[in-house]
Amino acid sequence: MAFLEVNDLVKDFGGVVANNHVSFQIDQGEIIGLIGPNGAGKTTLFNCVVGYHKPDSGKVIFKEKEITGFKPFMTNREGIGRTFQIMKVTAGMTVLENVMVGAFCRTDDRNLAKVEAAAILGFLGLDSLRAYHLNELPIASQKKVGLARALATQPELLMLDEVASGLNPKETEEMVDLLKKIHRDKRITLFLIEHVMEVVMPISQRVIVLDGGEKIAEGLPKEIVKNERVIKAYLGEKYAKSL
Amino acid sequence: METLRDAFDFRDFSKPEKVGFVIFTLFLLVFPWLGAGSFVKAVVIQFLLFSLFGMGWNTIGGYGGQVELGKAQYVGIGAYTVALAMVWWKIPFWVSMPIGVLIALGYSFIIGYPLFRLKGHYFAIATICTSLVLQDIFINWKLVGAAKGIELPIHEHPDFLYMQFKSDTYYFYFIMALFYVAIFYMNWFRKSKLGYQLRMIKEDEEAAESLGIDARWCKIKAYSIASAFVAVGGGFLAVYNLYIDPYSVMDLDLSIKIALMAMLGGAGSMWGPIIGSAFLVPLDRFLGSWLGAHKGLIGVDFMIYSALIMIVSAYQPRGIWGIIEQFRKR
Ligand SMILES: Nc1ncnc2c1ncn2[C@@H]1O[C@H](COP(=O)(O)OP(=O)(O)OP(=O)(O)O)[C@@H](O)[C@H]1O
Ligand SMILES: [Mg+2]
Repeated sequence: MAFLEVNDLVKDFGGVVANNHVSFQIDQGEIIGLIGPNGAGKTTLFNCVVGYHKPDSGKVIFKEKEITGFKPFMTNREGIGRTFQIMKVTAGMTVLENVMVGAFCRTDDRNLAKVEAAAILGFLGLDSLRAYHLNELPIASQKKVGLARALATQPELLMLDEVASGLNPKETEEMVDLLKKIHRDKRITLFLIEHVMEVVMPISQRVIVLDGGEKIAEGLPKEIVKNERVIKAYLGEKYAKSL
Repeated sequence: METLRDAFDFRDFSKPEKVGFVIFTLFLLVFPWLGAGSFVKAVVIQFLLFSLFGMGWNTIGGYGGQVELGKAQYVGIGAYTVALAMVWWKIPFWVSMPIGVLIALGYSFIIGYPLFRLKGHYFAIATICTSLVLQDIFINWKLVGAAKGIELPIHEHPDFLYMQFKSDTYYFYFIMALFYVAIFYMNWFRKSKLGYQLRMIKEDEEAAESLGIDARWCKIKAYSIASAFVAVGGGFLAVYNLYIDPYSVMDLDLSIKIALMAMLGGAGSMWGPIIGSAFLVPLDRFLGSWLGAHKGLIGVDFMIYSALIMIVSAYQPRGIWGIIEQFRKR
């Protein structure tokens, strides 16, 4: 049985069909990349899975349980964590408090939540940021905090919407290492939307490609980069040749 | 146990805050013996009452960041329960006040459930409407005295059961006790799971939901807590004034003042509502007696409040407490 299964999912924004009969499966422990041009429907697909959007038709099944139409807080409690493409930069809570809120998802005890949050910040190497507010941090750190608080809810599946966008090459490399570490040490299945090929190609075991709301390809990274349709729609000749 | 420890644990406050809190407490304890006149005493009692209201509002309005403008209906529920129970069945205050709180809790869940489907401006307007509807019902409801309101029977001798005293001093110590219960409660609340979750909802509701927080349910809970606080104050108001009517305990005016005081002082902070009340209650009383003498100036008080709130929010959205913190950081 698949870990996450999306069956024939359709999401129509009154004319714009953002997801058009999309189906795929993810197994536990995999790292799956989701790529495609701007407006392809990647974020929409994430939102349909975690419940920010209600799909017009189709099914989402997680751990053999149908979760179609669940609210976001419910899918989180089922074990799906997510980060946002655009993270709201707020000033009212410290980094530690942000992560504690995530930890409160699994405990009512504040001291426990604090210990848990501190451990996750330590795991991600963010100890020194504890007392800062999001608006005081550079983008790379903000993204890591987003990652940290999602991790604090102890997800089994983590869905990351462009965690590497806006990062410089060095920060991108750090992020890739971090993702590998999360996957390896916490045994969390990763599902990531990414435009940065340097992130998605080396770590993904499989890649799913969306274009115009439709799944146009799926396969190993080395197959995907040679796929005619994918090159036409997204990668461009240059990237294909550079490999 | 943990809860109690959190409620009485003020260690994470700064030294000036702790010292200020102790001095302020000592001042309140001796206040009735300082020889203040009855007008000043009434102002201080009012200050404590509005601090209580404001602290209640602060749960949903401050920590939860929801612009809630309908607290007066719960003042009304608390006040009417105490008054009617006494007039109809001679039920003592100590029984009717908790009943009033329970009714407020129940009512707030019923109202809160549909109310928190709404967000932003729509929510704010809806809170005003629900309160106006209840006020209208009471204005027209003969059984509960309609627009004329209810007078509480005055007992010949002071009576602790019915909270009837000749001297203001008793009322002062009673509202002071309630005020401290509220402070300890809020000191627990700000560190509680619900407190953290509400702050996250205020920061970024989408993110909060992605972290397993049922935002709507959290807001309903906070709204009910706020309503319970306010109903306690309403019960006090009934025995303190010995007269209530829908205009004095359910007015929009009252709802707005409660929210305004907390926002001016600093929504979402421990001391904000108290500071706001300390500023606005005396100002309100002063303006009240001054405007009473100048009939043509009705509404000027609200103009002054609006101006104040605009100045504060333009300069520092976190209110007077925000300004204080800003200076302290330098
Ligand atoms: N809430 C919405 N209401 C209406 N249309 C929407 C909504 N969200 C997305 N869309 C539309 O759906 C399509 C897919 O958008 P989506 O955000 O899923 O793309 P994406 O693949 O994530 O793109 P990007 O790489 O730019 O993030 C776009 O045409 C977009 O305009
Ligand atoms: Mg997107």
